[in-house]
Amino acid sequence: MTPASSFSALAALAAATPGAAGCSEREVVWQSGKIKLFRYRPIARPAASAPLLIVYALVNRPYMMDLQEDRSLIRGLLNEGLDVYLIDWGYPDGADRFTTLADYLDDHLAGCVEQILKAHHLDDLNMLGVCQGGVLSLCFSALHPQRIKNLITMVTPVDFHSPADLLSKWARKIDVAAWVGDGNVSGDVLNQLFLSLMPFRLTQQKYVDLLAANPDRAAAENFMRVEQWIFDSPDQAGAAFREFVTWFYQENRLAQNRLEISGRNVDLRALRVPILNLIGKRDHLVPPAASLALRELVGSSDYTALEFDLGHIGMYISARAQHEVPASIAKWLAAR
Amino acid sequence: MQPDPWAEWQAFSATGAAPGGPSSFAPFADLTERFNAAARAYFDGAANAPAPAAAAAAAGSFGVALRELFSNIQLPWNLSGGANGSSAPAMFAMNSPALGASREFQLRAQRIADAWRRIEEAQRRLQRIGADAVRAAAAAFIARLAASPAPAPSAEVLHKLYGTWIDCAEDAYSRAAHSEPFSSALAEYVNASSEWRKELQASVEHSAKLLDLPTRSEINTLTQRLIALEHELRARPEVTRPKAATATGKRQRAQRKKAKT
Repeated sequence: MTPASSFSALAALAAATPGAAGCSEREVVWQSGKIKLFRYRPIARPAASAPLLIVYALVNRPYMMDLQEDRSLIRGLLNEGLDVYLIDWGYPDGADRFTTLADYLDDHLAGCVEQILKAHHLDDLNMLGVCQGGVLSLCFSALHPQRIKNLITMVTPVDFHSPADLLSKWARKIDVAAWVGDGNVSGDVLNQLFLSLMPFRLTQQKYVDLLAANPDRAAAENFMRVEQWIFDSPDQAGAAFREFVTWFYQENRLAQNRLEISGRNVDLRALRVPILNLIGKRDHLVPPAASLALRELVGSSDYTALEFDLGHIGMYISARAQHEVPASIAKWLAAR
Repeated sequence: MQPDPWAEWQAFSATGAAPGGPSSFAPFADLTERFNAAARAYFDGAANAPAPAAAAAAAGSFGVALRELFSNIQLPWNLSGGANGSSAPAMFAMNSPALGASREFQLRAQRIADAWRRIEEAQRRLQRIGADAVRAAAAAFIARLAASPAPAPSAEVLHKLYGTWIDCAEDAYSRAAHSEPFSSALAEYVNASSEWRKELQASVEHSAKLLDLPTRSEINTLTQRLIALEHELRARPEVTRPKAATATGKRQRAQRKKAKT
């Protein structure tokens, strides 16, 4: 820890020319309001499997899936020959405050799925749900099992009352209806909550470590891309947020088979398609136990859980994830 | 538009990446300097007294210094921007009976004042829990340091010591954050904040109505009517769902337009 040398390094870095972000080529193939469906341009010989739709969380931006060339889950999947689609939920504003989870599932997600199936003349596709997007994927798959060929969940909470789940403990006594009111929920406020999970590491240590590391240009760019993503947090559509916190975090309805969306029971036992559950052993946001509970809740006889010695974000962008996660997904899909 | 991390990096490093400078890194540079100063005192203390008592005493002083250094750090739950003084005028309304034509206004003012009092109290509870966690972290840090002789000072050792301190701090904080008193205080903080915002919004809307200005409640009513209308239209069998725009469709339209011209 020698600040003086770090500062001189920073000054030298400041004089260098900007570098471009390395993201995979893609195009918008469908759009509905703020929702965009992207299809990524293939970069390898196509694998013999159905298209893969990535359903990301509502609480963060999906470009974390394709942050830069050497830290991109999507690029890894493309290298495996998969035909990759991604939903961008956009930034909800005041006009979206009454958008419900049913709207997200029945209109937005269903719209994307139908578009892909129509374009490929298929009856079903592969779905990869990430974090909160995994919860949406589970709900959609349980409600529309005929549309899903294989389901992959990644750092996805299912049992929201596992002992290590700090967010859930905090959420249980909060009056969510009063918090939301008739408005949206600020992404900045949610960020404060996420930082509060590990305040010393997330608000101090990482910056001190960066100074101490005397970063070169590549390291500085890597850091800033992640920093940009962490604090690029969309506001949350109020009604959907209220439902999500109440039904999942507070009442744990999904794990208890008590969840209803628009009057339809979301019964995970109806899920009989092959399921791959990807878990980060060091995930501080979604404890492994919260994800591992899926095994006992689904009706599928073809269930695989893979645990990686990684944290929540490390599952997408760590060097180790680049080697292990896309290959695991591709291998699993190829066998089905 | 894709963010340009390098440009952002340049922006904040160019604004003065020096201790005490205006850079966003200044607090961390300051923290680093103060940690280093405490660590230097630890190394000096350990080197200038007979072992093993020296290591224990120096570690104790180091832990106390860290406890003081980190006790004033603003943790993320300090969202209200401080709890000093601002509630005093509102508290006047709390102690007055609501009478006369402005009774509703007075009652609302009392509710706003009460919510603010609850916010302050919840924040104090959280700060107490946080301070207890930092104290426990300091004790754990002292115990770890006292268990072995002080290492020779170097940049690497300093960084490791800092890492050890953060480990101790996060362990202690995690225990506190999982406790019932913490979740209760946090929930009270959020719930009181919600109440405060709701009453304040009602107060602002009341003033807006007097000036015949549109309010959020009115816009919400209109939005809900539109949503209901949309649902009603969709439910009619003769009305097909409007097609969403596709990139291909846009291209085809553009090509047709081009062909015409």
